[in-house]
Amino acid sequence: MFRFLTKQLSFLCVTLLSVSFIVFMLTQFTPVDAARAILGAYATDEQVAHLTRELGLDRPVLVRYVEYIGGLLRGDLGYSLHFKAPVGDIIFDRLGNTLVLAAVSFAIIVPLSIVLGVVAGMREASLLDRGILILATFCTSVPEFATGVVLLSIFVVNLGVLPGLSPLVADTHWSVAQQFVLPVATIVVFDTGYVVNMVRVSMIEVMSQSYIRTARLKGMSFPRVVVRHALRNAMLNPVTVIFLQINYLISGVVVVETVFGYPGFGRMMLEAALNKDVALLEAGALVAVFVAVLTQILGDLGYRLLDPRIRT
Amino acid sequence: MSNQREHPSVPKLKAQLRDGKINRREFLWTATMLGVSATVAYDFAGRVAGRSLLPEARAALPQGGTIRIGMRVFPIEDPHAYSFPAQSNIGRQVFEYLSKTGQDNITRPYLLESWEPSDDIRTWTLNIRRGVTWRNGREFTADDVIWNFQRVLAPETGSSTLGLMKSYLLEEYETGETDDKGKPKKATRLWDANAIERIDSHTVRLNCRVPQLAVPEHLFHYPFGILDPEEGGKFGVGSNGTGAFELVEVEVARKAVLRARPDYWGDGPHVDELHFVNLGEDPATALTAVASKQVDGLMNGEPTLLEAFRQQPHVDIHTVGTATAPTVRVKQTEKPFDDVRVRVALRKSIDSEQALQVAYRGLGVKGEHHLVAPIHPEYAPLPEWNRDVEGAKALLAQAGYPDGIDLTLDVRSEPRWIVDMAQNYKEQWAEAGIRVDLNVMPVPMYLKVWFTTNFGITNWRHRPLGIMVHGLAFRTGVPWNESGFSNAEFDEVLSKAEMTVDVEERRDLMERLEQILQDEGPAVQAFFVGEYTVYDKRVKGFRLHPTLYIFGNELGIEQA
Repeated sequence: MFRFLTKQLSFLCVTLLSVSFIVFMLTQFTPVDAARAILGAYATDEQVAHLTRELGLDRPVLVRYVEYIGGLLRGDLGYSLHFKAPVGDIIFDRLGNTLVLAAVSFAIIVPLSIVLGVVAGMREASLLDRGILILATFCTSVPEFATGVVLLSIFVVNLGVLPGLSPLVADTHWSVAQQFVLPVATIVVFDTGYVVNMVRVSMIEVMSQSYIRTARLKGMSFPRVVVRHALRNAMLNPVTVIFLQINYLISGVVVVETVFGYPGFGRMMLEAALNKDVALLEAGALVAVFVAVLTQILGDLGYRLLDPRIRT
Repeated sequence: MSNQREHPSVPKLKAQLRDGKINRREFLWTATMLGVSATVAYDFAGRVAGRSLLPEARAALPQGGTIRIGMRVFPIEDPHAYSFPAQSNIGRQVFEYLSKTGQDNITRPYLLESWEPSDDIRTWTLNIRRGVTWRNGREFTADDVIWNFQRVLAPETGSSTLGLMKSYLLEEYETGETDDKGKPKKATRLWDANAIERIDSHTVRLNCRVPQLAVPEHLFHYPFGILDPEEGGKFGVGSNGTGAFELVEVEVARKAVLRARPDYWGDGPHVDELHFVNLGEDPATALTAVASKQVDGLMNGEPTLLEAFRQQPHVDIHTVGTATAPTVRVKQTEKPFDDVRVRVALRKSIDSEQALQVAYRGLGVKGEHHLVAPIHPEYAPLPEWNRDVEGAKALLAQAGYPDGIDLTLDVRSEPRWIVDMAQNYKEQWAEAGIRVDLNVMPVPMYLKVWFTTNFGITNWRHRPLGIMVHGLAFRTGVPWNESGFSNAEFDEVLSKAEMTVDVEERRDLMERLEQILQDEGPAVQAFFVGEYTVYDKRVKGFRLHPTLYIFGNELGIEQA
């Protein structure tokens, strides 16, 4: 276990370093002049040259990269030119908002898809299985922005029972809790279908194993077979998939955040990219990669805990 | 005004209005420019018309409450370097401007009591309003005004006001250093040590290098807010100001909260608080926010959403005509655009009405390819411009392209209607054998090439005067002359127009300028856009400004 963790963590460090280098270089070589982007198209050359000097952008790229890494190691993520604030102040606030959105969605997606997947998979090709399969496939095939707009037109424009915008600031009409309903619903509708399919396939595979047939033949009741014998084995493969959803929920929900104006991590990255906010983009990419690799490691760990055969 | 000398051109203006030689708009604009107060000018025009034209006394506005307005919340800490009107909409509630161009396109003194131009309009005396106090209690004086002038005109401030005032208050000089290519570096400084002169505690005089008619307009340029010198040009929560509100909270890309100041020197404020709520990058969020009553109004509406807003029973739609001119322009110095027949063919093959309908839902007025709009006071009507596909084909054939011509147009991806316009032009051009590829690129990349591309689109913003647009875009060698347009007669007539106070004389000159641009110019400009926005019916006192400025002290809201 110790070796496993050491290996994984050093992999994490190397990945982060490589990503920081690639993103830094990419932002240097995009055909956009940072000073001009900040001052606008109509600034005079004299004004642009002045800001370029002030930002230190006239120095060699490698010098700036080494300084940047030095800053990171000291915990200094840089200064966001768009938000005019330290990157750390913004990124953790936005990441926090996204984590809340992710946690609430995750808490609904996981039990819901396990129940639906198991129910569908325990009797393959039954009417219930077919129904769940069709519904799940449909939900996951519709992209989030379409789901979001459909939910908006029903609950906001026609019924007027929910707020369409989620700035996470309570006002006279709507509480913050109400502002969560539609973004969470959109994510749940989209993501549950996928996980249900994974659980279902795994369940079908387990239910066709000979030890399940043996258990049934020796007279054990069907529910008892499912709960005691099938469930744990059927969860082996989906657990990795489920952990990968954390990654999606944190850096993949930019569409949902944009549709509902939710002040989250994905939208922050979009805004940083649109405004050529290099420091924020860099730090955001590092955080996204960190989350991606970390969830991979957690998934592997979870797999090991469920499957004693590889727990060495 | 009674203690002030009347500008020598004013009696003639009055006579022209009486004789019907100029219209009311032209009279009001020029008279107020020359220092006649708007009230007196409206009063005179009203007497000529036989009825009162003074804006009706505003109905008493409801007091108290909060108004929430959907608008992008950008960083606002550096008011003199603002580059989006949205930034100024937060700042202008706290700090104010020396003049104010109203929703009627008429400029009035604001932090000034009045102005007096000399006969040759080279010397402008600015009389500062007495009784204006900063929120911290200090009196507003000439020293505050001078400090702000000096700061916006210093290159390191990064203010676009510099570009506006450069021609008459600054001069270029060589610094003695050289750049990478060995060329001497140039910088700007006041053209004369006495250019901004303090007369007394409430009088400042601008001694200009050349005559300039539009000084009062420039004083209302949105990055020229009057800041407290003691704060060094920085702005944020709690900043001092002469305005009706105090900024109490701001978070970029989230919101800004302003609280009413009880002892404001001017009218209002009527509400307790004004909130600006950031709705995000997706324009559709504006619709959902209005539908679920999470905001009471918007800074402006996207043309594509107009129909959807019409379905919302609880809001009023406000519209205003502007002189904002989306302009396709060629680089006149490059092939094939150096041939005037190609340039005219590009214009002749466009049906303006169709372009306006398709790209902007008909919300605007047709243009005539010279960027002067009917709402400009010196606008001169030319013979109606009509589409002529056969004529365009003939011109192309004469220019050596009997089988048509292939071109690539650089287009910015935002706002969306610019792309729609380009697409419509493309289809119309195709009928005349002008085959155009659209190269749609993200805005930051477009801003990198806007000046150098041979074939691109620039959305020229609303300016109160036609000559202002021409001076920025088409005078030989000026910084924003992206098309390389250079015409000695045009330059000469334009300079004359800029020094001509008399509206009729100026309109004659303008007619020539318009004609030159139609015959030879680099622009395809089929329409001027209108702006619209929506406000909840409970919001009172709102009037949409052509440049989308919001004046919080004019607003009130009925309690639900």
